Amino acid sequence: MKFRAHESAVRAALAVPSRRQFLNRLGAGFGTLGLTAALADAGLLSAAETPVAGSPLAPKAPHFAPKAKRIIQLFMPGGPSQVDTFDYKPALAKNAGQRPVLVDRKSLRNTKNGLMPSPFGFKQHGKSEKWVSDIFPKVAERVDDICFVHSMHTDSPEHAGAILMMNLGHIQPTRPSMGSWLVYGLGSENRNLPGFVSMSPRAQPRGTLANWGSAFLPGAYAGTYVNIAQMKPDAVLGHLRNPVLKPDAQRQQADLVARLNQLHLERSEKDAQLEAGIASMELAFRMQTAVPEVFDTASETKETLELYGPGEFAKGCLLARRLVEQGVRVVQLSHSIDGYDIAWDTGHDDILKGHAALAKACDQGIAALLTDLKRRGLLDETLVLWGGEFGRAPTSEGAKGRDHDHYGFTVWMAGGGVKPGTSYGATDEFGLSAVEKRVHVHDLHATILHLMGLDHEKLTFRYSGRDYRLTDVAGTVVKGLLK
Amino acid sequence: MGAPWPTTVVKPVVNPELGVLTPERLKHWAFQPLKAIDPPARVEADRKRQPIDRFVLASLAAKGLKPAATADRRTLIRRASLDLIGLPPTPEEVEAFVADTSAEAYPKLLDRLLASPHYGERWGRHWLDVARHSDGHGSFLDPAPLPEAWRYRDWVVMALNTDLPYDQFVKVQIAGDLIGDGRETAVATGFLAVGPTYISDGGDPDSVAKARAETLDDRVDTVTRGFLALTVSCARCHDHMFDPIPQTDYYALAAVFNNTKMVDRSLVSPELLKRTEEHKKALDVANAALKKLPKDAEPDRRKELDAEIAKLKASAPPAPPRIHAVEDAGTADMPLALRGDPRKPGPVVPRRFLQALAGPKPPAWTKGSGRLQLAEAIASPTNPLTSRVMVNRVWQHHFGRPLVATPGNFGLLGEKPSHPELLDWLAARFVADGWSLKKLHRLIMLSDTYRQSSRFDADSFRTDGDNRYLWRMSPQRLEVEAWRDSVLAVTGELDRSVGGASVRDILGSQRRTLYVAVSRNGDKLPADEFLRLFDFPSARATVSERTSSTVPQQSLFLLNSPFMLARGKAFADRLTREAKTADGRIERAYALLYGRPTTDDERKVAKAFLGTGEEAEMWPRYAQALLSSYEFTQTR
Repeated sequence: MKFRAHESAVRAALAVPSRRQFLNRLGAGFGTLGLTAALADAGLLSAAETPVAGSPLAPKAPHFAPKAKRIIQLFMPGGPSQVDTFDYKPALAKNAGQRPVLVDRKSLRNTKNGLMPSPFGFKQHGKSEKWVSDIFPKVAERVDDICFVHSMHTDSPEHAGAILMMNLGHIQPTRPSMGSWLVYGLGSENRNLPGFVSMSPRAQPRGTLANWGSAFLPGAYAGTYVNIAQMKPDAVLGHLRNPVLKPDAQRQQADLVARLNQLHLERSEKDAQLEAGIASMELAFRMQTAVPEVFDTASETKETLELYGPGEFAKGCLLARRLVEQGVRVVQLSHSIDGYDIAWDTGHDDILKGHAALAKACDQGIAALLTDLKRRGLLDETLVLWGGEFGRAPTSEGAKGRDHDHYGFTVWMAGGGVKPGTSYGATDEFGLSAVEKRVHVHDLHATILHLMGLDHEKLTFRYSGRDYRLTDVAGTVVKGLLK
Repeated sequence: MGAPWPTTVVKPVVNPELGVLTPERLKHWAFQPLKAIDPPARVEADRKRQPIDRFVLASLAAKGLKPAATADRRTLIRRASLDLIGLPPTPEEVEAFVADTSAEAYPKLLDRLLASPHYGERWGRHWLDVARHSDGHGSFLDPAPLPEAWRYRDWVVMALNTDLPYDQFVKVQIAGDLIGDGRETAVATGFLAVGPTYISDGGDPDSVAKARAETLDDRVDTVTRGFLALTVSCARCHDHMFDPIPQTDYYALAAVFNNTKMVDRSLVSPELLKRTEEHKKALDVANAALKKLPKDAEPDRRKELDAEIAKLKASAPPAPPRIHAVEDAGTADMPLALRGDPRKPGPVVPRRFLQALAGPKPPAWTKGSGRLQLAEAIASPTNPLTSRVMVNRVWQHHFGRPLVATPGNFGLLGEKPSHPELLDWLAARFVADGWSLKKLHRLIMLSDTYRQSSRFDADSFRTDGDNRYLWRMSPQRLEVEAWRDSVLAVTGELDRSVGGASVRDILGSQRRTLYVAVSRNGDKLPADEFLRLFDFPSARATVSERTSSTVPQQSLFLLNSPFMLARGKAFADRLTREAKTADGRIERAYALLYGRPTTDDERKVAKAFLGTGEEAEMWPRYAQALLSSYEFTQTR
């Protein structure tokens, strides 16, 4: 697989498949009536042809053996506070109200006050004896599956830029999202479903489309957005159902189109794009059943539904599992409550109220997802990433809140080849700045690509005369996170 | 930014005197002056070959290939119509063309199409891809629309319809506000003004500086790739890795745009200005008179004045149209940003043109922002890129494949021209013809090369599967605009009016697709999903080639969308109105769709389908299937 693909080479692959590619795109559609005969007539079917890689979304060989085949990103836009969740800092209580030199860093954000201890209790959990805030009681039970990264840092203390940095590796919306890079590099394992699904309850994270867009990569690699609060099959995929025709009447009409196309194909003798067009009509048919099926959770057992619990975010977690189970490569699930596009930013006025409600809305679903993936044997090959775009300062904003902190924050990963039950790197003793084994967002991206079997320096796309990559000109794989 | 040094290659030793302006790089074909090359001599006396054909035939012969026969007239008129105006010919136009056997029939057809106001709509849209035109800003933090962006779009359509010489077309888009009093031409600077403008969502000065740098990058990139097919933006962080473009070149141009600000201008004509002033005066007088009247006195006079005011208000002159334009806002040079980081200024770079084109030590631009000088440098007849790049773009849309396969990159990493001598000959001719695009279209379309059949030939295909050497006309897929417009034309619903404000919901409208409101982010307007599905380009950055994808979601749209269901019904209604019998209706359908008779197989398939149910149900379904079939998305 040549990854230094030229723009026009990719375009050609998308537009004009060879006969072999065409047959692959057709895939399982052979069983359908009418079309099979038409294709046989046209000499397009041959027993010797077996499906191999070809279409833009067909699976592609990675650069080296991957640890993870799929990724679920649990994105927490707004900035969860590290010292109130997973980065326990007992020194805050001892130095409450003080302003040690260590936290006196230049920032435009409101971080000029003294240190504020976390209003939440912390307890140790699991064999790894990890300190976790009491607002994440269920996730706390899974700490032995989790690899915490406490030494994250990023480039901007402003939401939009930092959100884009986390999801695109760039602070303006001009680059492809991480998910689209992954689908570009690896394809999808299920041709009846999108390769990259992005979901959120109600509000989309700030930056919206850019977070799952493909920018200059071909559109086939962009994520498909699903609003969990308004889940209808048609919201997943446009025009999935015919508002008038019954399935048999529609089948008849589609066969007519196929027949007309085939007559045209006979006249024009060789037209790969037309062949692809016939195939995609058939695929469209299969999507009409495959898509509603994967988003319908009715077939789940009562026990499973109860494991995830109520709420839209929990439903998103369950859907995430169903999607990766079906071979969807990338699932991005962004958190939001009350329709707020940067949900975790509720910490400005009052960490206690803001963060407690947010954690409550996602704790059980996240823990259930880890449990469920593990018991189904999916966790080994599924990488789960949790985190926001930055953290929050250990000093107070007003009396009870915290402002943004891009000097240090925490993300965590589980499954897919990361060291379980560990904590990597550290912030200073008050939790403001990453000081030990610092990990920039580019490094995190390089590591994620590495886990998925891709070399972040080789996964490039030539556009407008340059070879672009997710990690720009930076990024180092963080070996200490790997199992 | 973004391109790592190739790891397999040893980093070249750069002569500090020359930097990247090395003789090897400067020798690249695209930087050389146009070569005045005569076309090869006529090789076949029996055909009246045009110069274009003689170039093409020579390269075909060198590969052992032969050109295809001339396409039949039905194919030719459909091809030329869709190509020039983006609409299929009516059955009546087809029959008249087929019946006219004179040698002048085809040139006359081209003249008619080139004179059509729809020509500017079709070819204007090609340019709007390059201009990354949008009705919205671009920073997702600023979803504010650009309500007057359509005036730039209309200007592009008008400029093409009036065959504004291309050098002028270039100049006014960069500096229309600085030419004369700018009243007529400032609207063209929408090319710059209607670009993405990035902002930061907080006061953090680093984020603000980076956002500004990103905006300037768009202007440098759009201007240099759009007009010159050069990737000057690659030199934002360091000297260009492949082309003779040092980093100083980037900041010499970025400063020009840093000295330029976006403004909204009124387009007030002196006549309208006078009317507006007089109207205001009359209204003021009446209002003052009314105010002076004592309360509860002179009810008649009050009534009279009220009536007068109402009348004046009703006859107010129209609000002067507003445009998004630019104007000069400084004369400063800019420091080079080390590693592209605006927080790390390096030495100040004088504003000037690219050294690879202007020679070493080009004169500094000191007048105003420098935009006018930049415009003149690009639009100069001695600039070897401007004419080549545009000729290549025109060729690309006529043949589906440009002569230089990377129309946005003529640099060292771009493709070499398939027909270098033809490219130079066309470019020189284009300049000699007064930069007339219409003359260029005519020249190309009158060639036998353009008039070839698209018939498949297995031997030629084996030698040249991409049809790089033009052994036939390549079948081309219609862009979403031409396809949707054709659907509406065939059903008889198309609104052919030209120009005007953008239409938000194009699927609910009968206007041409060109008039759709386009969002920068692709997720803010009702039609975005439809457009993206059919490969409408992102307005994020200049686009020279669209992708052409085939995905199942397109089929779902064809089968299930309310738009297609409604078109099926409208087409069936039209067929029912215009022919009495089933055979007659089927015949009429094919005449409208393709300007050709129905084949026996097609008639058989149609009747078998129609016979399975009630007429009122089956005809709309049949009509929708016809509109959804692949042949209708193509020109051949």
